[in-house]
Formats: sequence, structure tokens, C-alpha cells
Amino acid sequence: MPDEHDLTRRDLLVAAAFVPLAALTSPAQTGPLALTSGQMKTLEAFIDRLIPTDELGPGAVEARAQVYIDRVLAGPNANEKAQFLEGLEAVNAYAQRTQGAPLADLPAEKRDLVLKAIDEDTAQGLPQGRQFFNRARRLTLEGMFGDPYYGGNGAFAGWDLIRYPGPRPAVDAEMQRMDAAPAPYHHSAWGTQYK
Amino acid sequence: MATTLKPVDVAVIGLGATGGVAVLPLARAGLKIAGIEAGTWMDPHRDFHADEIFNNIRREVTTSPKAQREIPTVRTGPGEKARPAAAHPMMNAIGGTSIHYWAQSWRLKAWDFKTRSETLQRYGAVAIPAGTTLEDWPLTYDELAPFYDIVEDEVGVSGVAGNIGGKLTGRGNPFESPRAKEYPMPPLRGSGFTDHMAETARKLGWKPFAPPAAINSQPRKGRSSCVYHGYCGSGGCHVSAKGSTAVTTILEAQNTKNLTIFDKAHVTRIETDGNGRVTGVRYLRNREEFFQPAKVVLLAGYTYENSRLLLLSKSKPYPKGLSNNHGQVGRHYFGHWNSFVTALFPHDINTWYGLPAQGATCDEWADDSFDHSGMGFIGGCSLHVYTERHPIEGAAMNTFGRAPGWGSAWKKFIHDNAGRQSNTYIQTNTFPYETMYLDLDDEITDPLGDPVCRINTGGMRENERRSTQYAHTKMEQWFQAAGAIQVVKTPPFVPGVSTHAYGGTRMGDNADTNVVNRWGFSHEAPNLGVLGASVMGTSGARNPTLTAQALAWRTADYLVKNWKSVSS
Repeated sequence: MPDEHDLTRRDLLVAAAFVPLAALTSPAQTGPLALTSGQMKTLEAFIDRLIPTDELGPGAVEARAQVYIDRVLAGPNANEKAQFLEGLEAVNAYAQRTQGAPLADLPAEKRDLVLKAIDEDTAQGLPQGRQFFNRARRLTLEGMFGDPYYGGNGAFAGWDLIRYPGPRPAVDAEMQRMDAAPAPYHHSAWGTQYK
Repeated sequence: MATTLKPVDVAVIGLGATGGVAVLPLARAGLKIAGIEAGTWMDPHRDFHADEIFNNIRREVTTSPKAQREIPTVRTGPGEKARPAAAHPMMNAIGGTSIHYWAQSWRLKAWDFKTRSETLQRYGAVAIPAGTTLEDWPLTYDELAPFYDIVEDEVGVSGVAGNIGGKLTGRGNPFESPRAKEYPMPPLRGSGFTDHMAETARKLGWKPFAPPAAINSQPRKGRSSCVYHGYCGSGGCHVSAKGSTAVTTILEAQNTKNLTIFDKAHVTRIETDGNGRVTGVRYLRNREEFFQPAKVVLLAGYTYENSRLLLLSKSKPYPKGLSNNHGQVGRHYFGHWNSFVTALFPHDINTWYGLPAQGATCDEWADDSFDHSGMGFIGGCSLHVYTERHPIEGAAMNTFGRAPGWGSAWKKFIHDNAGRQSNTYIQTNTFPYETMYLDLDDEITDPLGDPVCRINTGGMRENERRSTQYAHTKMEQWFQAAGAIQVVKTPPFVPGVSTHAYGGTRMGDNADTNVVNRWGFSHEAPNLGVLGASVMGTSGARNPTLTAQALAWRTADYLVKNWKSVSS
């Protein structure tokens, strides 16, 4: 059938994207959109080890990558929500089974053991573990290094980490020299309210 | 019951890179045109953003409803179940994929038009790749050159000539075929990194040059010059520096009042009469069916849709599909081989900003630029290094075996190296083969129940594999000479669904092996023309768009000059 309402998928996505954004401005008043609060704790415990806060600066949780992930699973990536959450729960069960506690209750070193086993595909009883790991890593990168409009990259921590100088409206030849280090341009492409 | 619309002279199906060009000479000649397009206008303010998630991950500027409802399936060949490709790589919009493409605007070389005869003459029959259906084009470079000149001016191409009238300029590409004059605009500027790569190539004795692009290097015809901000690929140009047909030829054609655009129109069939002439176009818009009568129909969809619509348009004179009584629709299809070599440098190279068309290109290892005697292949690859790197892409970089994939050690690695990796764009001369073709899928349909296009890739090709691997060693040499500390050569692979898809309605004098004649009109249905890379029989080692556009202009020009004989 042709378009039923003359609405492109883009219109729908842009319209949808504005709803959770309003919610984000007051995060204390609202819970996660796609995850339960327990799942959110597990996710944070996981991505905190993927990109930890350390002497180089904020990690994934501090940069709110989990907010990005929760929001895309509630919206544009809803079709992978069930599979993603199943994977997350399986990781948590694996942590309980092998380390004696849910992932969120484990110290960093023990969480690292869990992640390492999954990444290296040696985790017993976790056949989809590697697939979940790769997907979680990919979404964490999107959350940490994407435009803050989508909820992550808080205070532009991701862009500063890799020294990406920001989406300037126009760039001159000097800024493109190999030895140039343009000052960080901390702006979302969607407006100064996103940061 | 379809509503029959007021008849027009010409119905153009698709207002993308080629249909969007062809409407201009038709409109200027006073012909009344219906431009029937599945997409609609895009709005630079609403649709074009400096945002990697929007452009490159959600692909908001490249996805569109019709294309995504008819994603081609892919298989190697008969006996194998075809699987849907991940997405359709092209978009429906006024301007089509010319809105978000890299805008590299190359001419093919004289050799590309005569590859078979040149190969036979220089290397003998043994050098012709086994199983290829390669033919010389029915026209030469010299015949197409005036149309390249016209299109370069109309869409606005920047570049630097390497060969004007047979004399090398000492700048530009010394391997190019002769041009009549300089480009309409000087080339885009280089970046520090691409200048460094060019300087390195010169030290190797190569002749690097700034490649041509349909992007303003200076303000021209009311459009701004490029701002080099780093969000060109898969994104629309917010300052309209990119010469998409939506901001160039289509607007000009509208100004004549001879072009009427019917947007959001999903063409379902091309209709024919009992004598085998086409009578018009059937389409759906908002669930309503329309029939647009036309004296001439120009089919200007993408390669997959061109073959598909012909195969779907069965009628009494064409029981196997329109213009397919010789069984050639879908044949001689091929996807362009392109591949990657990446390098890690010990210092920042600062390629975040810029655009993929800002680069340094070398043509020493492409086409027939070098002696292939005893090499075991013909053709080769153009080598192109470029700028524009996005932050997620940068963070997701290959760690070159130097760091784990997560944790603090990885974090340190990307902190240091995300700005130190160079990608390349390596395009291979690709040829058609017997076992490579398009047909209709026997299981998967679009929501209307029409089968989608099925790509039969035919599997690995020794000729292209060898030429690509050879070029990769040259790319490695170039990077190493430039100071790279590590180079990774990704093995070449057979393309599935491709943004550079050729053939299916090949152009040639012989009706037994080609769908359209040397002017782009059907050998069988005389008032049906076909536009796009689907008429091309070779790819060159470079992007197809400008050649497809020059051919489209030439077909339209032929139609204007022979209006009476073609239209009646």
C-alpha cells in the first residue's frame, strides 16, 4: 500500500524523539522508558566496565550512555528491545551463577571477569552472550559519542575523550591542518539546550 | 478504477540523479513533462543536520518508504535461497540519492568504452576475463564528452583538468581522457592530511590530483560554496553547495513551467498498446490509482527498480516483461567492487572535518594506466584518501591489535588514536558476467504483492579479486611512505546490494544482447527510454553518477531532436 497518512518514517521519528526529550530535562521525576529500574542498574554495571571513569575522564555511565540506550530501545530500536533485555538478564544470571551476586552488586574486578568471559565467548550457558556483548558495546559507543540530543554524551565527555572538535557550522583551512587542534566546540546540532 | 490524467508528452519515472537531469533539456525544448517521483521534497532545515546518529546510523536522509518496502534479495545463484539485504541503499526523494551522495563526479575514460577491443588488441583473447559478457559500448568517449561538458556546467562540478585537448596540463589527472576545457570551478581545497598524502605520492613518482566533485568550491549560480563541516556523506547539504538535482536541474526545469512534479507516486506498471508501444504510467498515490498517458516514457529509477519495473510490466506484446522479448532485462548486471585499506599514523591527521570528496586520488593503478602483460587480470583500482570522520565511527575504530576492545586500556587507545586513522576508497574496474543478473524473487514481495528484485551475484571473480589485491599493495606502499605505522588490507568481497549497481538494461547495438540502443531507447518498445547506470556496460574505476547523468542528457537531447519519429 502507499503511505497511509502521507507521513514519512522520518516525520514519525522526529516527532517521537521530542517526547522523551522533555522527560529528560527532569530525570529525577521519571524512571527508565524501556528498562525496569533493576535492568537499568544491571546495564549501568555492565557499561561502566566497557568505558570506565578513570584518570582520562568520565566513563559511559557518567556520560549517560544508559539513557541513550534506554531511550532508543523505547523508540526507534524497539524491535530489538526484547532480545536486548533477554541478553541483559542472561548476563545477570550468569554473574549470579559464577560470581555469586547480581552484576550490579559485584565489585569492578568481578564484573570484569564476567565481561571478559562473555567477550571471549567462554561463558558457559550463555550461547548468545557474544552477540549481546557486541550489541551492548555498539549502543554504548552510540550513547557516549553521539550527539547529546539523544540523551548521552553528557557534558560532551565522549567527544572530549577522543578529541573530536565538535560539529561546527563551517570549517576553514587552518582548522584542517594536520597539526591543528581546534578548540572543542561544545554544541549539539539541535540546539544549545542539549549538553 | 484508475483515474486517467491529462496526457503529457513525456512521463519521467523517478526524479533522482538521472531523471532529474533529463527533465531540463526536455523542458527547455517545450515538451510537457510529468515527473513521477516516489518521494517528495526534502527540507534542508528539517532534514539536513550535522549529526552522525541522524545521518549515518538512523540513516534519516537515506531511507524512504518506497525503497525500504522493496529491498532486493541477494543470493549467489540458482539453487540458493535469496535473503533480503539489510536495507535499500538508495532513496526516494526529489533529487533522489544525489541529495546525500559523496558527489564525486567522474568521467569514464576512453578505455572504459572500448575495454573488449582494446584488451584484445593489446593483450589478446587470453586476457578477457573468463565468463564475462563484456562488450564495447556503442558509443565512444568522444561522443559522450560534449554531454559531460553540459552536465558538469549544469550541476556545477569542481575539479582540475589533467588533459585539455590532448595536452597534459601538468595538474589534474594525467590519465584522464581529453577534455575540451577546464572544469567550471577549481577543485575543492585539500586538507593538511590529503596534502601530505599528495606530497608523498609525488615523491613516489605518482601523479596525485584533487578529484572532481559536484560540490561548489566557490559560490556559483546562487548556491553557496562548501563549508567543509564534515557531514556530507549520507547527509544532505544544509547550504546547498552539493549539486543535487533537487537544487539544480529540477529547479531550472520547473522554471520553464513545462515540468509538473507528481510526488509520493508509487509507479506500479508501464502500460503498452497492442503494437508494443508504451502508452503511459500507472501509479498509486494515497491509495488512489492513476494512469498518466504519455507519448514517450523515460524510466529513470535506480538499477534494481529499472529491471524490476520492466519485468513486472507484462503485456500481450511483452509476455516476459516490457522490452524483454530477447530475454536481456536483468542481464549484464554487476555491483561495483569497492574495498578498504586502513592505516594508523603515529600522529594526529585531523580528518574529522572536510568531506569524502576532499581528497587525493591516484590513477596509476586503474583502468589500463599500466602494462598488464602477464598480470593475470585487466583493469585495476583508483586509490582515494579523504577526510570526514565522525565521532562514533572514530571511537568504533579497529584497534590494530594494539589494545583490547573495552576498559581503560581501550579508552586510552581511542583517546590517542581516534584521530590518527585513515580510511581509503578503492574502486575496482568491474565487468559483467554470465552468472550475474537480476530477476524477480520467487517468494518475497512488496506490500502490493509484487515480487522484489533478486540479485544473483555469481560469486567471486578472479579478475576483480586479483586487480583489487594488486591495488591494495600499492595503497599500502603509499601509506607506508607517508609514515603510517600500521596498514590493514581488508580482503576484497563480492558486492551484494550496492550504491554502484550497473546493467540490467544494457546499452548496445545488438538487440540480442542489449535492452536499449545507442541512444538509450528500447530495441523493442521504440518510445521507451531508460536512464541510469543500468544502461552502462562497464563501471570504470570510479563513481558512476556523472556518466549516468551525461548519458541521460544525451538520451533527452536525442528525443528532442527526433521528437516526431520517437513519439509517433
